[in-house]
Amino acid sequence: CSRLHTKPSISPTLLLSNMYQRPDMITPGVDAQGQPIDPRTIQSHFEEFYEDLFEELTKYGDIESLNVCDNLADHMVGNVYVQFREEEHAANALRNLTGRFYAGRPIIVDFSPVTDFREATCR
Amino acid sequence: RSRSKSKRISGFDMAPPASALLSGAAAVTGQIPGATPAL
Repeated sequence: CSRLHTKPSISPTLLLSNMYQRPDMITPGVDAQGQPIDPRTIQSHFEEFYEDLFEELTKYGDIESLNVCDNLADHMVGNVYVQFREEEHAANALRNLTGRFYAGRPIIVDFSPVTDFREATCR
Repeated sequence: RSRSKSKRISGFDMAPPASALLSGAAAVTGQIPGATPAL
């Protein structure tokens, strides 16, 4: 979707834009050097990412849910949605993550209006 | 043996390498440059 979604000023949910970079994001199953990647490598790469993320985010509050998009559409590839139990926890995480890096890339963090991931499609 | 280490280093606070813009640092970091592939 190319619509400009409004960003709420406060929300229990944070969006970390394009944070997960799958190793085969250019061509499925093949790395940047054109070598095939073992699916298990991709799986463990993802699990390590998820673990890093969870351990970091859990410092700021109770996590209700943690979703990583594996959607190859440009606007949402690797987007991470983290829903905290309390808005204050999300605000705390936002303050603490802003301006930091993950794996050499800046973390882009904002509040997100999404609170129900089963209903989280653009309409 | 290396797998038995208690914890990998987290990717958090891993700043971009200073050489990233000068050389093909992708091979070192295992990371893909942010460039969008040509359509």
